[in-house]
Amino acid sequence: MGITHQPAGHKTATTSWRVVDIVIAAVIAVSSGVIFWAWNSTHHLLDVLFLAFPPSAALVSGMWLFPAVLGALIIRKPGAALFCELVAAMVSALMGSEFGLTVLASGLIQGLGAEVVFAAFRYRTFNLPVALLAGAGAGLFGSVNDTFIFRWFPEYTTGMLLAYIAFMTISGIVIAGLLSFLGTRALAKTGALGALASRKAATEPILG
Amino acid sequence: MAMSSASMLHRENDTAATLQHRSGAVSVSARNWGWRHADRAHAALSGLDLEIRAGERVLLAGPSGAGKSTLLYALAGVLDEDDETYSSGELLLDGAPATQGRGLVGLMQQDPETQVVQARVGDDVAFGAENLSIPPAQIQRRIIEALDAVGLDVPLDHPTSALSGGQKQRLALAGILAMGPGLVLLDEPTANLDPDGVLEVRDAVLAALDSTGATLLIVEHRLEAWAQHMDRVIVLEPGGGIAHDGTPGELFAPGPVRGKLIAAGVWVPGYTPAFDPLPPPEQPGALLLEATDLAVTRKRGARPAASGLALRLGAGEAWCVRGANGSGKSTFALTLGGLLPPGSGTVLATGELAAGAEARPYHWRATELVGRIGSVFQEPEHQFVTNTVAEELAYGPRHAVKPGTREPLFTEQEISSRVESLLSRLRLGHLAEANPFTLSGGEKRRLSVATVLAAGPQVLILDEPTFGQDANTWRELALLLREELARGTAIIAVTHDADFARALGAHEFVLASPATADGTAPTDARPGLLEADVRGGTSFLGRANPLAKLAAVALATIPLVASMDWVSSGIVVAATILALPLAGLSIPRFLARGWPLLLAALFGAWGTALVGNDSGAVLLDLGLFTITQGSLAAGAATGMRAFAVAIPAVLVLFTTDPTDLANALAQKARLPHRFVLGALAGMRLLGLLIEEWTTLGMARRARGVGSRGSAAARLRANLGQVFGLLVQAIRRASRLAVTMEAKGFGTAERTWLRASSYGRRDAGIVAAGLLLGVAATWAALALGTWNLVWS
Repeated sequence: MGITHQPAGHKTATTSWRVVDIVIAAVIAVSSGVIFWAWNSTHHLLDVLFLAFPPSAALVSGMWLFPAVLGALIIRKPGAALFCELVAAMVSALMGSEFGLTVLASGLIQGLGAEVVFAAFRYRTFNLPVALLAGAGAGLFGSVNDTFIFRWFPEYTTGMLLAYIAFMTISGIVIAGLLSFLGTRALAKTGALGALASRKAATEPILG
Repeated sequence: MAMSSASMLHRENDTAATLQHRSGAVSVSARNWGWRHADRAHAALSGLDLEIRAGERVLLAGPSGAGKSTLLYALAGVLDEDDETYSSGELLLDGAPATQGRGLVGLMQQDPETQVVQARVGDDVAFGAENLSIPPAQIQRRIIEALDAVGLDVPLDHPTSALSGGQKQRLALAGILAMGPGLVLLDEPTANLDPDGVLEVRDAVLAALDSTGATLLIVEHRLEAWAQHMDRVIVLEPGGGIAHDGTPGELFAPGPVRGKLIAAGVWVPGYTPAFDPLPPPEQPGALLLEATDLAVTRKRGARPAASGLALRLGAGEAWCVRGANGSGKSTFALTLGGLLPPGSGTVLATGELAAGAEARPYHWRATELVGRIGSVFQEPEHQFVTNTVAEELAYGPRHAVKPGTREPLFTEQEISSRVESLLSRLRLGHLAEANPFTLSGGEKRRLSVATVLAAGPQVLILDEPTFGQDANTWRELALLLREELARGTAIIAVTHDADFARALGAHEFVLASPATADGTAPTDARPGLLEADVRGGTSFLGRANPLAKLAAVALATIPLVASMDWVSSGIVVAATILALPLAGLSIPRFLARGWPLLLAALFGAWGTALVGNDSGAVLLDLGLFTITQGSLAAGAATGMRAFAVAIPAVLVLFTTDPTDLANALAQKARLPHRFVLGALAGMRLLGLLIEEWTTLGMARRARGVGSRGSAAARLRANLGQVFGLLVQAIRRASRLAVTMEAKGFGTAERTWLRASSYGRRDAGIVAAGLLLGVAATWAALALGTWNLVWS
């Protein structure tokens, strides 16, 4: 008895979120929120490494940016970067954050930095360059927010502020961009992403 | 949180059987139906023709890979169609396509943890009914009736995380019943449960069906408990249609059909793979491991899960550890395996096993442990640490070291011959290059045992190795372990499976039942990590709308963001401390939760004092950096501001239940409820993931992944563990999404059992926040300390 293979769906599943997209995005975000919380209470231990030039502490700030890129690479829907970063921030605030509620505003702005990059590629390209750009976007938006909007470092000179922006952008590229890209490919190899649009991430061309 | 669910949900005088579906039981028909998943090359099912009458009770059987679960998911309408899936033919419920069967069908899956959506029992039962837009008053009646029907007698605000596996499955069933479905689909509902749990869930299912008359379609491996209660058994053919269709009596009676089913690995009632009794050992094996007056516990200092345990384990001996849920079986096994420290008493390896290392296994390095004691965890995926099956097998022997040294235990040649021999012994040769995570359930189980055997441990400890396995995998496992026994390996298996214990000729080690009043396992009823503290939840702020609290904190924070001065910061800090009683908090309790914030503020102050612009007298000279009066003042302002930004949020987090926050965000702030409730469900998985993190750490140590050692080794081990956790998190989330979708979640409209209210108290809180912000600004301006950060 033959089976007639025909595309089943008329739903165009490219932009609308399904329940599985929402729940997996939420779990990624919530897990990231816990990592934020742990990172919030431990990253000061690294401060000693950056004493020579305090703005260089931004080199590890990518730890606060990865959910935006990781979420978008895995879920591949409009708003995924924003949603994951915002929910992660919300969870870390609920668990007690040294940044209080301002962390929500930071999350929104950092998420937006990654989101605009994915939007610029119309949510169709999720290769390495786009991931790195998104990491850079999150780092750039986040650092401009820290230095010129929230003004967390009133003691810095303009040169130090600009250095901070450069360092955080680099951190975004490496920690949020590169690690998220590699992580997504490794996850796809385990079959865990079978229900998602990123299920073939491991076999897609890295640059194409 | 506020509302007491129990008082709200009293039973009303209504005699109508609200649980019964209005259109009665639903019939199923498939016409040449087939389906291929997006990530698979072959169809899961094809050419299926099937008619199930309304009200029939049908058991769906067949070898693994026959598409049983796929059929259930399709009937539940949770198979997503997209560009990469293929379907053919028709699948109908009461004559209409199954994809439109919302509200007609209820689905329960295997993993109890992902059958629960909400944090409290009453809310969880209501979830599906809310999605079907049933009026709240009617949902309240249904909750009571449904919990009655499944015999779950716990308060409505009982935390769902404190239920046992069997209770969680009954809760899931209650949630399905509250939707009033005409077709109930159960996908291996008891595979993860012990024998008591199996009967508990089965009886609840049968009683519920008796009262609602719904059609039942169930997939199970172990047919014994269910077969006699079914009208019909349908056996599916892998990749095809129906192999056999008849009454349980017809199919399971001795004959060719029964023989075929057994050959396919189906657990037909009354069948267990037979083994000759093992010959008694010629001489008693040497003593390897000895536990004396042992008490076991997962948490240092906590009440032991079991105590007074004594065991002498000799080479070639098998022991089976039995006991009720919560009696500490797994904890005992982990302690014997050198993965948990003894609570009190000792676990000592003899000279025969330790071979030069110290006697306490918990103090061995992971690389010393793997060559001596192997622990096989219940979930195989917890122990996978590489990318291919072959590497997975080589990992243990490659990392095993001679005791007290860093010399490898095996040569490269020995490693490859061990890998080759295990691959062929376990029929995994064709999968050598496959990713371990992508194997089938039975293959994963065989691989996880093989990876631990690869390093040649003399003691093998297994936790429920036969859960959810088909009869063929069961037989292979028994054969493999019998071979190990014959080689002199000692085996300890935590198992409820008496047949398996018999096949190994195991001695019994029975743990006493935990002593509790109601006979159920003692569970930790403390709230989850993100849930509001009990005292905070009933305080003045605890009864307020979460949005009002957030708005008040945001308003009070604005001047802090705008200005860097100690006056406005000080006023906000003082006001927060004065408001602590409103949150039911004392200063010590506040410090217990808020100390990291204080610490962070001190760090910030210190940093600024070091690098800030120097002015005034030098107070401390550290060479490159100096602390001066000017920089110290700047540091104090920075620290005070950081503290002021951080602590008002503590009032919110201590008094806000995430469920109430989600309700408020969806109902009052009008955020899309799909995203809000999705995020809430994700948070509920969190407690589970934290537990899983600990388990993963132990499971990986049992594979030889060291978490003790240099910073680089720790970082690598931690990254691997994060990845392992992420895989589990995504798998759990996928199953939870299926649960939610099967409960009708995801449509535009729904009703809410808990209405989010906004009253005078809430308006007052927002006004107080505004007042605080204005006062802080005014005071700073008046005292001349206002220092706008943007200027």
